[in-house]
Amino acid sequence: MESVVIPVSTKMLFHNRLRFAMTVVGIAIAFFLAAAQIGLLVGWVNTNSAIIKHANVDLWVMAKETRTLDYGTAIPRHRIQQVSSVEGVKWAEGMLVGWVNWQHPEGKRITVEVIGLDESNAGGPWAMGSGSVESVHLPETVVVDELSKEALGTLVVGDEAEMEGKRVIVGGFSQGVRTFTAAPFVFTSLENAIEYIPYYRDDEISYVLARIESNTDLIAVRDRIAAEVLDVEVLTTDKFAERSVKYWMLETGVGITVIITAVLGLLVGAVIMSQTLFAITQDHIANYATLLALGFHHKTLRQIVLAQSLSLGGLGIIVGLVLFVLACKASERSPIPLETTPLISLGLIVFSLLCCIGASWFSIRAIFKLDPVMVFHG
Amino acid sequence: MRRVLFCQEISKDYGSGNIVERVLKRVDLEFFEGQASVLIGPSGSGKTTLLSILGCLLAPSDGQLLIENSVVNFSDKSSLTEVRRQKLGFIFQHAQLLPFLSIEGNLALIGRNAGMSSEDIAQRLDSLLNRLEVFQMRKKFPNQLSGGQRQRVAIARALLHRPSIVLADEPTAALDWNTGRAVVELLLEQARIEKAVLVVVTHDTRMLPLFDRVLSIADGILTEQYQTAAIATTLITQS
Repeated sequence: MESVVIPVSTKMLFHNRLRFAMTVVGIAIAFFLAAAQIGLLVGWVNTNSAIIKHANVDLWVMAKETRTLDYGTAIPRHRIQQVSSVEGVKWAEGMLVGWVNWQHPEGKRITVEVIGLDESNAGGPWAMGSGSVESVHLPETVVVDELSKEALGTLVVGDEAEMEGKRVIVGGFSQGVRTFTAAPFVFTSLENAIEYIPYYRDDEISYVLARIESNTDLIAVRDRIAAEVLDVEVLTTDKFAERSVKYWMLETGVGITVIITAVLGLLVGAVIMSQTLFAITQDHIANYATLLALGFHHKTLRQIVLAQSLSLGGLGIIVGLVLFVLACKASERSPIPLETTPLISLGLIVFSLLCCIGASWFSIRAIFKLDPVMVFHG
Repeated sequence: MRRVLFCQEISKDYGSGNIVERVLKRVDLEFFEGQASVLIGPSGSGKTTLLSILGCLLAPSDGQLLIENSVVNFSDKSSLTEVRRQKLGFIFQHAQLLPFLSIEGNLALIGRNAGMSSEDIAQRLDSLLNRLEVFQMRKKFPNQLSGGQRQRVAIARALLHRPSIVLADEPTAALDWNTGRAVVELLLEQARIEKAVLVVVTHDTRMLPLFDRVLSIADGILTEQYQTAAIATTLITQS
């Protein structure tokens, strides 16, 4: 008897091709909407922890109560040596983060976030479009991102501008180093950064970045640094990234807005999907009543509805996923990227399929309430 | 003749509490193999209610229904579905063919649901569509057929799985007189060939002489049962 399920469900769907196409498009858009909102959230999360994650270090040493990379507090520079001398630490370098004014060649002034890099450039740009990251160690030289060219008014390597009233020369353009705030990142050396950031003294930095010896317990080294180096907090890269993300996402209005939008996107997507699938069952309610009267079991009709929901939902999700992947590609070079992870994508697909099954549950309820006597009343 | 269908003091109430309306009152009826009955009565007399009970679509409030000497258990929806699937064929006022299936598909679906083999379905389908003169239409969809053609297909669908009972609700209501008469004649002929009990509800009294028996219902009471000339002639010939 189950052999009737697939032919009936597919022919019922394909009979009205326009309706079928509209339903698939509706589900695809609903899925895309939800995926895009979640993708935006993931993109923002990745953006505001990108420098931390790309620094390729194991531990971050900072002033206590530091809430995010962007708002580092000054610590003595000799903390670098102190951290280096702790057992299990292979290597340690400094980093300086500060906010200064950038004078656009056309006259306007914008705020930029200066990242001062130590010798090995840990915490610096991880992909270069033109020029070299090493150029930051030249006097007055900085690297900015391609995405900030227009904002900073520097279009080619060698262009000059002013930062805090002092000359800067663009030594290169990085790629994909987005800023979570409105202020573009400007990479330079620790020594240069000290010159530009007026509220840091020569013997101050914001962070010590450390790598540990191989086969060493990360947590043990972290605890040793915390015990041996005074007045600092030591976090693993993952923990610092998590703290940074939490700060921006949960403690600022903009982050909460993004989260609310993502949740709303997910809910709206789920509702559209459910309504679309419910409507298609309602379109055929008279046919279901006829099938009931003609001796089809409720179980068979339930399977037909479920098969329809899953096939429509599956197709809609595939189309929506293709749209989302295209949107991710298109946004790769934009300041607001759409990003995802395999786990999040899988979760979204499972959630969407559950919405489809939920929608079919409503349809099945409608069929169970159906009185086959209605066939005698036209 | 073998008794196929037996209504034993069947009543039907609608409503609840103090507001109960008895629309069918202690109906006793027997239907025999190959017998064609027509059920007439004014609107609201209980025709459709009786037909729905005979079709195992509606449970009676009192009394019982026996199909081939087995009492129908109206409290078990699954067994009701089984009875409809195996023993009953329906013809509705507007044919109610599934619009998304071809004529062939509409018929084959019923056969498959009744558990018939593909070969049996194909054979039955060809035979019935030929007999009902709609074989050429088998690849078409219901909306490509005229009203009369659709009802012929509905007859084929009702008979395909060899049910012992065929119930028809106003099968000619949407058709002109000539087409309607032709459809009823075909229905009677095929039901007789199949030896199925046929019960037809109609408002059209011109059709009555075509049937073996006329059942008249008014205010829920079966007021009149008489045999038409057709059956009388048959009985005389047999004796």
